[in-house]
Amino acid sequence: MALNGDEEDFKWEPPTEAEMKVIQARRERQDKISKLMGDYLLKGYKMLGEACEVCGTILLQDKQQKNYCVSCQELDSDIDKDNPALNAQAALSQVRERQLAAQSPTPSQTPELNDSPSSSQGNMSIPQPRPEHCEGAAAGGRTPLPPPAVPPPSTPASTAALAPARPSVTPQSSAQRLVLQEAEEAVLTKLRWATNQLQSSASLEASIQLCSLINSCANSLRSLKELTQ
Amino acid sequence: MPPLGHLHMEHVLQAVGVLEAVILRSFGPEGGQVLFTRDTGQAMLSRSGTRILTALHLEHPLARMVVECVWKHSSATGDGSKTFILLLASLLRLIHAAASKESNVSHSYSSTKAAEASTARHLADKLLAFGLKELDELIATGVVPYGGCISWEDFTVEAQTPSLTNNLCVQKLLRSFFHTRCGYTHCDFSSHLTCELLSHWKFKNQLPSFSLQLVSDYFPALHTPVSGFPVRSSRLIEGQVIHRDFATPPLKTDHQPVKAVVLTGSMQPTLLSTGDVILHFSSWMESSLQGIIAKLQTLGVCVLLSAVKQSAAVLALATQAEMCLVECVSEDELSLFSQLTTGSLALSVISKTGINAVLYVHVAFQDSEERITIKPYSLTEETAYRSIAIQPIQKCVLKPGCVLSAGGLFELLLHYALLQHGHSSSVSPDLNIDASVSQLLANALLSVPQKIYSHSPHHFLDLHCCREGDKLSKVSELDLGLESVSCKYQLLLAVLQCVASLLKVDAVLPTHTALHTQSRRLTRTSWEGTEDEGED
Repeated sequence: MALNGDEEDFKWEPPTEAEMKVIQARRERQDKISKLMGDYLLKGYKMLGEACEVCGTILLQDKQQKNYCVSCQELDSDIDKDNPALNAQAALSQVRERQLAAQSPTPSQTPELNDSPSSSQGNMSIPQPRPEHCEGAAAGGRTPLPPPAVPPPSTPASTAALAPARPSVTPQSSAQRLVLQEAEEAVLTKLRWATNQLQSSASLEASIQLCSLINSCANSLRSLKELTQ
Repeated sequence: MPPLGHLHMEHVLQAVGVLEAVILRSFGPEGGQVLFTRDTGQAMLSRSGTRILTALHLEHPLARMVVECVWKHSSATGDGSKTFILLLASLLRLIHAAASKESNVSHSYSSTKAAEASTARHLADKLLAFGLKELDELIATGVVPYGGCISWEDFTVEAQTPSLTNNLCVQKLLRSFFHTRCGYTHCDFSSHLTCELLSHWKFKNQLPSFSLQLVSDYFPALHTPVSGFPVRSSRLIEGQVIHRDFATPPLKTDHQPVKAVVLTGSMQPTLLSTGDVILHFSSWMESSLQGIIAKLQTLGVCVLLSAVKQSAAVLALATQAEMCLVECVSEDELSLFSQLTTGSLALSVISKTGINAVLYVHVAFQDSEERITIKPYSLTEETAYRSIAIQPIQKCVLKPGCVLSAGGLFELLLHYALLQHGHSSSVSPDLNIDASVSQLLANALLSVPQKIYSHSPHHFLDLHCCREGDKLSKVSELDLGLESVSCKYQLLLAVLQCVASLLKVDAVLPTHTALHTQSRRLTRTSWEGTEDEGED
């Protein structure tokens, strides 16, 4: 007999805790399905002799001769919410959870990335390099570029124009890297041009504007560098 | 399940689980009622499990099979359909759990579904064998000592003294039955009226079971529903009320015995098919009718009770001869009438009686002790009589008339008795099989009191305590009513049989024509096209 044959192959072991939870959840789901079906029967629905192809639940038919599966059309919406294979939101939350779990000893990078531009925006104490100094420096000879480490206050409009998009959670791909490299090159070119212009600039207004352009380019370069890391 | 597919336990469990969910809300003393409405506007309010289940639209073959079992059980015992479904569902679940454990499969899908199904079938057969052979002894030793016994003489209608013997009267038994049917407000009155009716239906030289059977069989003829009045204005009337009016003017009797003739066919012979003989025939026919009526007159017959509608000629002749004629009397009433008059009873008075502006014929009997009830329109079941009728008729170890306090005590006591039996039989190794079977049954039985007391767990504890201490007096304080032990035993056996037959089904084959004729209760389901039938 099949029973005796199976005994030699494997012994019955009591289910583990995880399996118990699964069993319990399945039982609760079955109870919920039965209750819902009972309610529909009392409302006048007909219980058919067929089962749903997807889940195997008994089908109901309403007075308009329309078939209705309780578990597919009512209950599954509750469960699909948490199923990462079916819902993008659930997938995102799953990835986030994984990342949090992986980076829990060190503070995660995402808040850092998000915080840095805002801190730079909020910091107004460091004064803008005064144009007279720039003028003097330009007249005197080569002016060292304003160091990118000092976070000068930047106008949000220019930053927004040149800065790349806020760092997202999605991992970097080669296409993104290519785009970032191109952006870096463009910014460097602009920086070089602005520097040249500044050296030969005679008007006050032009110098001021060139300095702010250089400032924005430096910020963009910094952000791009942080992205590529 | 797909066509030509094999039946798995999950399908069975789901079908029965749905039926359980349907009746669960009406179960127990605090259960609710279900209001059914038809498209015609007709409404029915019921708490009876049979009514609810037979009113559902079911095309699923297993569900229909279960409802058929419930209906058959209910028509035999009169009660217990919801308990039937509860026990069935819990037994199936436990069998499924035991079968999947025993056939060495984990709870993931595998190809040993067939092994699981065969284990389940085997278990069910063992349970049924256990139920048929050993269960009655167990009940007699483990449950009956906690109850009492009522006999036919305990039809004391008024319970004057609160002593123990008076508590065991039949009225208490009926009271708990009516409680589940009409609700708490009318159960006392209904049980009182029923006891009075039954006490009047005592035949001198017959067994009590005979009169109970008579009342049960003829109850539709004995019961006159009247709509528009409260339940409390029901009363008993001596004699028989025939639910038709006189076709001819009623005779004025002076309480002298009268003779009656029951006609089952038309007095006027049917016309012959040939053409020109008719004229002659009618004159012959009239003269023959006159002869018949004259003969009846000479015999002293004054009353004609006819099952069919008589012709105008007969009516005219009867009026002329001062005989009263009642037409279209139902077969039940006619047979009851003949039953009553075959005895030493003589017809004494026949008169018109009006009940709520509907005229009926009232037949009174001399020296009669029979009465009928007139009940204002209520939705009570007449199966109360069937449930009482079955009690005295016993062929097994259980004594007739054993009663126990209602409210789950039977299930609880049997649960403990089965556990004890399991322990004692596990000591001897050859009876090892019985231990698991009795364990399974014990666990299944516990589901009934659990569901009864799901709203009030402290009552459940009271029930447990009653088992230990002074048994009956404490339980009667809870005022739960009485229930018959033999009826419960019948219920258990019926459930075990239903389980065994459900698990014997291997596959379901859809057919295009009806294999069996419709049973008479399936008047609501519409059969359109394909119909599924379960086959072994």
